[in-house]
Formats: sequence, C-alpha cells, structure tokens
Amino acid sequence: MSRARAAALIAALVLAVLPWVLARHQLSLLTDLLIFGLFALSLDLIMGYTGLVSFGHAAYFGLGAYGSALVLIHFGQPVPVALLAGALLAGVVAVPVGWFSTRATGIYFAMLTLAFAQLLYTVAYKWRDLTGGSDGIAGVPKTALFWGGPSLASPRAFYFLVAACVLLSLAACYALVRSPFGRAIQAIRENERRFTSLGRDPRPFKLVVFVIAAMFAGLAGALFAPFRGFASPEVMFWVFSGQGLMMVIMGGIGTLIGPVVGAMVFILIQEILSSYTEHWMIFTGAVFVLMVIFLPGGLVGTARRLAARV
Amino acid sequence: MLFNLVEQLLNALALAGLLFLVSAGLSLVFGILRVVNFAHGVFYMLGAYLGYTTVAVSGWFWPALLVVPPIVGLVGALLEASTLRFIYRRPPIYQLLLTFGFALILEESVRVLYGNTAKGIEPPPLLQGVVALGSNVYPRYRLFLVVLGLVVGGLVWLILRKTRAGLVIRAVAQNSEMADCLGADVARVRTLVFGAACALAGLGGVAAAPMTTAYLGMGIGVIVDAFVVVVIGGLGSIGGSMVGSLIVGAAQTWGAFYLPETAMVIMYAVMGAILVFRPWGLFGEEE
Repeated sequence: MSRARAAALIAALVLAVLPWVLARHQLSLLTDLLIFGLFALSLDLIMGYTGLVSFGHAAYFGLGAYGSALVLIHFGQPVPVALLAGALLAGVVAVPVGWFSTRATGIYFAMLTLAFAQLLYTVAYKWRDLTGGSDGIAGVPKTALFWGGPSLASPRAFYFLVAACVLLSLAACYALVRSPFGRAIQAIRENERRFTSLGRDPRPFKLVVFVIAAMFAGLAGALFAPFRGFASPEVMFWVFSGQGLMMVIMGGIGTLIGPVVGAMVFILIQEILSSYTEHWMIFTGAVFVLMVIFLPGGLVGTARRLAARV
Repeated sequence: MLFNLVEQLLNALALAGLLFLVSAGLSLVFGILRVVNFAHGVFYMLGAYLGYTTVAVSGWFWPALLVVPPIVGLVGALLEASTLRFIYRRPPIYQLLLTFGFALILEESVRVLYGNTAKGIEPPPLLQGVVALGSNVYPRYRLFLVVLGLVVGGLVWLILRKTRAGLVIRAVAQNSEMADCLGADVARVRTLVFGAACALAGLGGVAAAPMTTAYLGMGIGVIVDAFVVVVIGGLGSIGGSMVGSLIVGAAQTWGAFYLPETAMVIMYAVMGAILVFRPWGLFGEEE
C-alpha cells in the first residue's frame, strides 16, 4: 500500500512539474490524454468492477460536453458550474437508460446500451435548435474558476483544472471500489446468482454504478467542451464507445489506473501513427487485434504479472 | 391513398430484405460461435465494393451476385481461422474488440483501394425501370430485393432444418461440447458458419449497391440497424431476424414517411417497448 501511495505521489508531482517543461502543443496533448483517461476510468467502473460491458458510454461523455457547452455559452457561468451541469445531465439521462438496460445481462446489456447511445446521438444530431445539429456548438469559452475569480483561458490554468479533476476522480473511484458498495458490485461481477441467493437484489447496485460511471464520463465530456471549444455529435458516436472499451482493455481491465494509462497510450499511438500515414486506422486496428490476442491483461495487468515473477 | 399504403408496404419489405441478409448472419454467428461480430457490417460494405469491381470488369450485374459472396465468405473464414478461434474461451468483450479491430482495418483498406468517392452500380436491364401496379408504378429493383430476401431466408431455413449439415450446426449451437463428443468437427463448423455469414452480408452488399451506391461508412450504418434487428428478434434465431427485419423495415419506412424528423427514434422506441417485456428478444432464449 505504501508503495502505491509513493507511486501516486510521484505521479502527482510529475503532473505538477510537466506544464513548466512541455511546449504549448505538448501540454495541449497531455490535457487531451488526461480527459480521455478520465473517460476510460469511468468505463472501468462499470466494465471492470461490475462486469457489465457498456457499448454506449460515449453518449454520457457527449451529454456532459453538450451540458457544459450550453451552460458556458448561454449563461457564462464559471467552469466548475458547467462541469457540474454536464455531469448531472449525464447522470440524469443514465437513470432511465440504466433502468432499462440492467434488466438484461451480458451481450444484451451491451447491445441495449449501444442502441440507447445511438438514440441519444440521433437526438443530438437532429435537434438543430439546441445542439446545432451536425455542426455542433462552437466557440465554447473557458470562463473563470469562480465568480470574479481567475480566468482559465491560459493552457496551463486549464491543464491544472483537468489534472485536478482526474486525480480527484481517480481517488474517488479507488475509495468507491474499496467501500462496502464497491465490494458488492464486485461480488455481482464474480457470481451474480450467489449474490441473489444471499438475499440481495443486484439490480439497484447495477443501476447506481451505471449512473455513477455516466457522471464521471459526463465530467470528462464537460471538461472536453471548453478545452476544445466545441461539442459535436461525433463524440457521442459508437466508434468512440468502442475506442473507450479498447482503452480499458489496453490498459488493464479492473485496475482503474490501467484504463487511464491505456487511454493515454491509445491516443498517443493514434497521434504518432496519424503523423506518419493518412491510413493510420489500419495500424490502430492491427494493434487492437494483437493486443487482444497477446496481452489480455492489458499493459498494467501484464506489468504486474511480470513484476510478481521477478 | 391505397396505392400509398401498398408503396410504403413494398418499401418496408425491400428494406427488410436487405436488413435480413445482414442480420441473419450476425444472428447465426452469435448463435453458433457466441461472438458478436462487429466487423459484420464491413463485410456488407466489402460486398458492395467488390460488386462494383465485378460489374466494372465484366460489364454485367448478375455475375457479381454469384462471385462476390464466396470471396467475402473466404475473407471471413480466413479471419476466423487465423485469430478468432484462439480466443473463444475468453469473456465475450475480447471477441467483440477483436472484430472491432478488423472493422477498422477493413474499412480503411477499402478506402485505400477505392478512394473516398461513392461508387455507383447500374442495376441489370431486367431490373431497371418500373412495373405498373394498377394505375401507378413501382421501381423493379426494390421488388427484386423483396424476392431476394424471401428466397435467401427460405434457403437458410431449409439448410438449417432439413439437411444433415444444418443438423450439425444446430447441435453445435445448442451444446458445442456435447456435439464435439459426438464426433462433430466443431472448429470446422465454426469456420464455415462464420464464412457463410460473411458471404450473406457480402450478398446483401452487392444487392444494396445499385440502390444505395457503395460508400464508406455504409457498413457502420447497417450494423447498428442489424443490431436492433437481432435485439428485437433474439440473438441466434433466424426466424427472429426475419421478424425483426420486418419490424425495423416497417418502423423506418413509415417513420420516414409520416414523421421524418423522428424516424430513428421510432425504431429505438419500438425496440425499447419490446425489450421491456422480453429482454432477450421475441424469439431469443433467456440467458
């Protein structure tokens, strides 16, 4: 445990020092990596710890992005208000979706979440008056930290906001999976029938974890909109949901930190490949295939196994 | 008014015919391999593009219907035999992601080979133009799609129910370990079924191309619809795919006609309503 704490401390220090070392575009890339890390982290809660594969997680990222963009553009509130609004919007929509989807298990759950996500995507695409349709909402401002407080417009200031959000979310998720509630959802993952026969109903647990995961994804989306300055239906598309699953698997399912690492590696691979070839998707696809076949534990899982062997 | 109704009905049936060609394979693969093949829609797209090539080379449409499905099926069978078969013991998410990786590779490869512009195919002379229905007219090609969907559906049903191969396939679907013990070559059945399902999707792609053209992204569009079809009909059930295709075809056609803004929403609403009462679909089996 103390070793894990030391690692966390070092990671926090590195994140604090980096913005003074990196060039502007590198800092921007790092902010991106952290936002997608938060998205993958939220997916791991439901996928890794509850054993429910959600194939529509991008929808909640997108809802967070739209919620935050609308609050920032129309009301000009400080960014944290927009973050709260984005996370809440994602959470509120996740309640009915989760209520329906948790009636099913396994692959049916995955398909239901996919279908609902596509429905939400279609709504975002068609509701032109509110969402700007396929153009999305552009010109989302980075407002202040609080009313009359310092502006977050500088890349460094916004980076610190993102880094703080990601670290706090990571700590919150660690606390959550170690709590009695966290033990319960892992029990459902391990053996749902036994959980039921012990006299507990798994569905409320699944619904709650689904909503929590959606809220963290919403938070990631709510950071994304002011960071990039726009929200568009693209981020709700199923391809992004699939990429989220890949980030989790790549980093190591059920490890929390793994998916954050996985998301970073995933985005970096795309960045690097896309600077060499226009057809980077072929190579990304090949990396997926090889990782799935040869590294089922992901990067963190494999590293831990190697460390245990030494 | 009456003709409107008939026209809408035929449109729904034509769309259902195409959807069935794609969703039947998806459902079959799930029933027998327990794999959700995310690349299935890309095989549909591959079929459409190979159809374009065949027509361009031979100058005829009909050979494409015969030549393309086996090629697409072969590509599918090779993928199954070279990668998928090694990870059947893993949780389903791994197989889903593996096929997701293949979807990316194939989609981008088609872009490399054919470029970004859509490729149109002329329907054969026999199917060009319109037929008279009373005092009105209806495009011939759409009637062909209705017939094709029905014929393929009938053939698949016959093979599964009335032949020895179908018997073995159904045995593997029901209990692969028991089928293995009784001497069925389960690995070969899986490869063949995967290939056959991809061939069906390829056939769907060839058939769709004269109506929709062959374009990038058509696979992704169709796979989501096909997912809705199999969720409604029940994974692993061919009859379910047929009924699901009809429901989705009808929902999309009438939705687009009466409430164009909300056509997609109607499809999902129908699915949601069905799943509230039967989470495993109309003809699926409870997990």
